[in-house]
Amino acid sequence: MTEYFGTTVADIFATMPKRFKPEEAKEVDIAIGYEATGEGGGKWKATIKHGTLKVETVDGDLTGCKTTIHTDAETFVGVTLGKIGALDALSSQKLRVAGDPKFLMLLLPKIFTPYAAPEKKPVSVTARDIITTIAERFRPEKAEGVAMTIGYDLTGEGGGRWTIVIRDGKCAVRGGLADPLTVKMTMEAKTYAGMMLGTIEAVTAFTSGQVKIEGDMAAAGATAKFFRKYVVPGATEAEELISLRVTNAIEQRFATGPVMGHWFAGLREKKFLANRCPKCGRTQIPPREICAWCRVRVHEFVEVGPKGVVTHFDIVYFASPDPLTGAVRDTPYATAYVVFDGSTEREAVTMDLKKEDIPRLKEGARVRPVWAEVTTGSSRDLIGVALDEQEESL
Amino acid sequence: MATKRVAICAVAQHKNGSDLWHKRFQGMLLDVLEELQAQTGFTFDEETGVNTIVSCSDDFFDARTISDNGVADVLGAQYRGEEKIAQEGLNAVGYAQAVILSGYADLVLVMGHCKESQSESRRMIANMGFDPFYGRAVGLDNLNAAALQARAYMKKAGLTEEHLAGIVVRTRQFAARNPYANAREIVEAGKVIASPQLCDPIRQLHAYPVSDGAVGMLLASEERAAEFTDRPVWIAGFANCMDSYFLGDRDLTANFALKQAAGRAYRKAGIADPRKEIDLVEVMDAYAYQQPLWIEGLGLCGDGEGARFLDQGGQEKYRVNLSGGMLAGNPVIIAGLYRAAEAALQLRGEAGERQAPDLKRAVAHSTTGAAGQFHSVLILER
Repeated sequence: MTEYFGTTVADIFATMPKRFKPEEAKEVDIAIGYEATGEGGGKWKATIKHGTLKVETVDGDLTGCKTTIHTDAETFVGVTLGKIGALDALSSQKLRVAGDPKFLMLLLPKIFTPYAAPEKKPVSVTARDIITTIAERFRPEKAEGVAMTIGYDLTGEGGGRWTIVIRDGKCAVRGGLADPLTVKMTMEAKTYAGMMLGTIEAVTAFTSGQVKIEGDMAAAGATAKFFRKYVVPGATEAEELISLRVTNAIEQRFATGPVMGHWFAGLREKKFLANRCPKCGRTQIPPREICAWCRVRVHEFVEVGPKGVVTHFDIVYFASPDPLTGAVRDTPYATAYVVFDGSTEREAVTMDLKKEDIPRLKEGARVRPVWAEVTTGSSRDLIGVALDEQEESL
Repeated sequence: MATKRVAICAVAQHKNGSDLWHKRFQGMLLDVLEELQAQTGFTFDEETGVNTIVSCSDDFFDARTISDNGVADVLGAQYRGEEKIAQEGLNAVGYAQAVILSGYADLVLVMGHCKESQSESRRMIANMGFDPFYGRAVGLDNLNAAALQARAYMKKAGLTEEHLAGIVVRTRQFAARNPYANAREIVEAGKVIASPQLCDPIRQLHAYPVSDGAVGMLLASEERAAEFTDRPVWIAGFANCMDSYFLGDRDLTANFALKQAAGRAYRKAGIADPRKEIDLVEVMDAYAYQQPLWIEGLGLCGDGEGARFLDQGGQEKYRVNLSGGMLAGNPVIIAGLYRAAEAALQLRGEAGERQAPDLKRAVAHSTTGAAGQFHSVLILER
């Protein structure tokens, strides 16, 4: 059946009884004839009488209809879906109505709920479908001299355990996990399928901890080039749509000036040095040259903390990788708004809180700083904050 | 139609340096802001003060996107309106003029900053300005793109090593009189010619030094200018023009965009013949060869006559770059804003040892993009 706008003329008529609103059609007594020309077209007759509906296909002429609609199949579907304006179709003569078109335009929306094209089910491809085709997709020319066994432990629906053996320019897939393995990758089956289909970025999946790698990391990274890309059966590849990778990295160094410098010098001594506005008295962390509220330079420094209170927090499950190193923090961790003791109450600082403390974290929790082993006067001196056990146990 | 005018009421420059390691750019901007307030007494009062700030900075040099967000407090822009120009800072003046002429605001603060020294190499930042796939991969940056232009232009205009050395020698003589300039040491022609090739034909002393700086100005409507200064400098015309992004599309010596920008600015200023009506010129010469090239584009001499312009004393006739120009060291993204500040100081008679007499009208020029992709021209009058 020929589709227009993702559906067919026949489907529109087939769903008519379901969309019919008998309550609204109690007073209606009409037979409407439809003629849709071209591929996927045909003739139908809808008879509506006192709250009942009968839809039939018609082989010969449309007879006994008070009003008839004539159009091509594409326009019919387009107008039904609202993709083509009914008035435009009428005025351009693509759609003709024998009878009273205005009457029809008022009647039909009243007695039928609008037609919606059926949702297309995406082609469902499982990890099993993909991994079992791996031998066919093997590129011996890219794997010359390579000998490795790669284990996949794919959990969840469509998953399973497989071992891919590459040796002597040949590749085989076997069920189960061999021992020993060059590398073993554990992940959810849907993550694997997503990476192979390109809906999940491999780098992100690796760095965010969705893929667990045991064994030779470099081997895990190299596997992709041994195989042609998996293509969903029946799908057509757009060869000209190529993705180009770019990494931008420029080393920089920043002057602190005296104000920011004071803060980092404080960190070196494991102290939080805020600066206090001479006018409004608020404490600024990080210290800034001026108080933007009062528009005055700020010179006085005060030590705050080292303990403080969490006023808000969130929990991070997907951390963004460091753009320079690709390294990702251990997730989950919490981003917490911390107001250090002695700070003015609106001046919170954003800090991260260690993973182990998340289950016990709540608003109002007391925290203490966690310092690096060696403090040098940099943003790495302060690792984050942790719940303050001493106060917890009180 | 009665023509309204916009005045530059005050300018403030931070001294340029090759590595202002002791100061962060926020502190530099704050110095500029405070100096402007000291000169004019303007406030940020919501009724009578500055409520619109136009800033200029660069995301890559500052290492953050929307770089203006990082300096809002020291621009005076926190809790006020703010816009950033993602072009050379002279365009902030053009933008501020439009804001005032539209009636949206009657006072606008223009502020710009850049610390080239923050990067491992400013050329890496310039390389980021190119298309990542066609230009960046080739290793293009401002220097080697300019050298392509330099070679083509030297051939066309008959510009020699001696001409280029002469430009640098003169630049340093003026820079020595400009307390805000970066490279102020006097050099001899022989030293210029002996300086190493950075990218043939551009030698080390033909190129502006790595520079850090900050500069600002206060603009006001004609009605309000007198509240802030008794020596207003009027904006008579501003225009800019964009050329093709891809170098290969351009005739590098034709000055197409600059001629367009200059022509539009002159028309706005009612200038029929710039050669008779301009008293002083500040061009954004990142490299020595650009000084005569941009002079051609501004119409102060004919096409390909840049060398003759130098030989016949054109630099003194038109008081070209009495500040020392960009060649004496201003950071790339605000070197044109510095040009406007210097031109304004000259018209106000406040240019100290570099002051020229009898000035009525001046031109400030700026450019961004490799080998002069984009040009802006500002005409100022006393």
